[in-house]
Amino acid sequence: MEAFQLIGQMSYEYNADVGLAYASPVRGVWNIVHIGTLVPGGHQIYVCPTSCLRGVVLTTAEMGAMDRLSTITVGEDNILEGDMEEALQHGTERIIEELPQRPRMVMIFTSCIHHFMAVNYKRVYRILQKEYPDIDFVDCYMDPIMRRTAPVVPALWRQMHRVLKNVPKVRGQVNYIGNCFPYGGDTCDLTALLEENGVKRLEANSCRDYDEFLSMAQSPVNFVFHATGLKAANDMKIRLGQEYLAMRPGYSYDEFDQDMEAASALCSLPAPDKETVAALRRRCEEETEKTRLLLAGTPLSIDYTAVDCPLDLALFLLRHGFNVESVFVDVFTERQEIFDALKEEKPDLKIYASLGWNIRQMDRTHEGKIVCVGQKSAYFMNSDYFVNIIENAGLYGYRGLIQLMELIRDAYQTEKPMKDLVQIKGWGCSCS
Amino acid sequence: MSDYQTHVFTSTYTADVSGVCSAMYELGGMTILHDPSGCNSTYSTHDEPRWFDGKSLMFVSGLDEMTAVLGDDQVIIDDTAAAAGDLKPRFITLCGGSIPHIIAFDFKGTAHLIEKKTGIPVLPVATDGLKSYVSGVGMALTEWIKRFADPSESIWERMPAASGRGFSSAQWKKKGSSGLCVNLLGVTPLDFSINGNVQAMRAAFEDAGIPVNCCAAMGETFDSLSHIYRGAVNVVVSSAGRRPARFMEKKAGIPRVEGLPAGPDEASALMEAVRAAYEDGKSRILWQEPAEHEHWTCPQGQILVIGEEICSCAIADAINRLPAEKRGGRLAFPMWPDIDEGLPEAELIAAMRSADTVIADPLYRVVLGRAGKTRFIDFPHEAYSGRIYRKDMRLFAGTEFSAEDLLR
Repeated sequence: MEAFQLIGQMSYEYNADVGLAYASPVRGVWNIVHIGTLVPGGHQIYVCPTSCLRGVVLTTAEMGAMDRLSTITVGEDNILEGDMEEALQHGTERIIEELPQRPRMVMIFTSCIHHFMAVNYKRVYRILQKEYPDIDFVDCYMDPIMRRTAPVVPALWRQMHRVLKNVPKVRGQVNYIGNCFPYGGDTCDLTALLEENGVKRLEANSCRDYDEFLSMAQSPVNFVFHATGLKAANDMKIRLGQEYLAMRPGYSYDEFDQDMEAASALCSLPAPDKETVAALRRRCEEETEKTRLLLAGTPLSIDYTAVDCPLDLALFLLRHGFNVESVFVDVFTERQEIFDALKEEKPDLKIYASLGWNIRQMDRTHEGKIVCVGQKSAYFMNSDYFVNIIENAGLYGYRGLIQLMELIRDAYQTEKPMKDLVQIKGWGCSCS
Repeated sequence: MSDYQTHVFTSTYTADVSGVCSAMYELGGMTILHDPSGCNSTYSTHDEPRWFDGKSLMFVSGLDEMTAVLGDDQVIIDDTAAAAGDLKPRFITLCGGSIPHIIAFDFKGTAHLIEKKTGIPVLPVATDGLKSYVSGVGMALTEWIKRFADPSESIWERMPAASGRGFSSAQWKKKGSSGLCVNLLGVTPLDFSINGNVQAMRAAFEDAGIPVNCCAAMGETFDSLSHIYRGAVNVVVSSAGRRPARFMEKKAGIPRVEGLPAGPDEASALMEAVRAAYEDGKSRILWQEPAEHEHWTCPQGQILVIGEEICSCAIADAINRLPAEKRGGRLAFPMWPDIDEGLPEAELIAAMRSADTVIADPLYRVVLGRAGKTRFIDFPHEAYSGRIYRKDMRLFAGTEFSAEDLLR
């Protein structure tokens, strides 16, 4: 059986997360350890069986951040004796007492087994909170068994912001929620607008210390750039009264304009003026054309680890004359009209399921040069010509698109050591 | 009471599930890890150096909440059959993590049903995700040998027992005049990496005139490993090999020798022990069998070797065979993690701090901190630090290894 399907023969309900799943050696995407380490002054404690601990511990060791993580191993005796709560409490106490520096915040990650053993961890956290009033305890979860109903990454973004208290709001300050990377003014239209108007921007990935992290509670507005941040934003709206706006991470000029207008209104700022928008659109078109001419029909492959909307990017590029050959994506989360348009305009677009068992033994060679957007497509196409980014890499709006075009041109012109780069866990993670 | 569960500073050894995958990697099968998710990427990222370029088959079942709650084993049966239909593996190995364990997943029954549906042999390996890789490698190799190797190929045959009871090695004798050849048991990259240790180990035996029949399970194929019973003596070169060795001893009378050719002196002693085992059919351990390690200690000012059991014992033994002046008059003491409980951190810290020199994986350095006077000698171990120090792995399993150089 082929490792891909043609989009023309697929339905919108496609989801590769069924059946046996394959894990490719591509490791750039962040996991919960990387995200948890973003909180300055935070300490993570993972409470799991050995098989679950191994991954998080070595992820942390690779980051050189072992001083920010401790573990409590769940053993057979805990299962038989039903003393999970005691192990959790006493283990946490010992960790706090033995750490050379008192953490301001402790994130305790329980695992699948705790759900099945009906462990009353909330009670343990109440006891710990009384015992250590100077530490904020946060219940976090590494429970992939719940991934269909409560995926771990959105839950972590929500939980790590749970320490924020409902305090009076200050004007001139906003938060970005759910971003692994800072969204700078040169690659993100919203940041550029905020900077032009002197609005302070806070996000977990760039807070200097725990107090600054806590000061995110004072912001009246949250902006979300990834679907994984929506759970946190919803929670913060309910608990803290912070309004939020989801900035759509696609490639439609009209959506950029609509979202920027809504963002401006939410912050009581003037919307970007029409001349600026028109100039940015022209620049986008010029950069896209420049890229198309350079690539001169070279095939492109796109994957979901690089950009949140791989289908939308494929559509944008196809409509601008690029030769998009394939997309690596495990579930369609983008709007159906994008899928329908691709189906009609490029029915032979290959869709690869990166989780599927057939991809393990696929022929990882490609006839002629192929430029890949993302690490997974680069691995499976065995290409050293690739855009080495994950999770949109702080790109948003016209500025983001312009930057993306520059990255594609660079990928076409410059070989990269794919084998070395794609195996680095948590690409670009500098939280250590 | 010793607290083996809380690790404030230290890492963890890899789990039984990775051990299963690692042992089965080169044999042309398909390993199914029955677990929600995560164990598979841990294995393929940290524990399997052959993953990037290889095409061996290992998948996670993606067990979800509803399937677990309902005990719906039909899901994994159907999913495995679908994948096997496409990929046509020679055999299938079914192991699992902690959730199948607590919901009492029937490995044997499910394996039987998958086998019935696909016509492909299925090995049930009832791991639980709670133990170390030593357990997983041992269980997987034992199941494989049980299923695919022919004990009638053994050069040993049972003699009528004098008492009519028991299965001691005294009840076996050699058939005919088969020559001495050995199997190396417990060989995976988790203990030996991919830096030439396995080749050096094979060479140590072959240079001593002892052919290697099988190396379970690196550098072997399904077909070559199926003749493992032709080995006259099993050499347990890592503790992961102990379980299959004991099984083969009971099943076909093959004596086992525990030891590792770590340097010329250790290799020479090991070859002698192997020859003796071949002659009298009795199992041996190269060094005095260490006491159960309920309480670990290292006498003040001595050398502490931390690692996998056989390896740390062999390295310590190789050091202790040196003339006293070459080891500063000190003795080396091995320390290794328990299969169920790992290393209790408090005892580990005490032992490391009382030692004069510690030979261990670099991730243990954190225990001593920067101010300590204890000398630390890096000895990376893939089953502990994964790929982090892979480029610095030592060549320890051959006659080229020098305990003196290690201490220098």
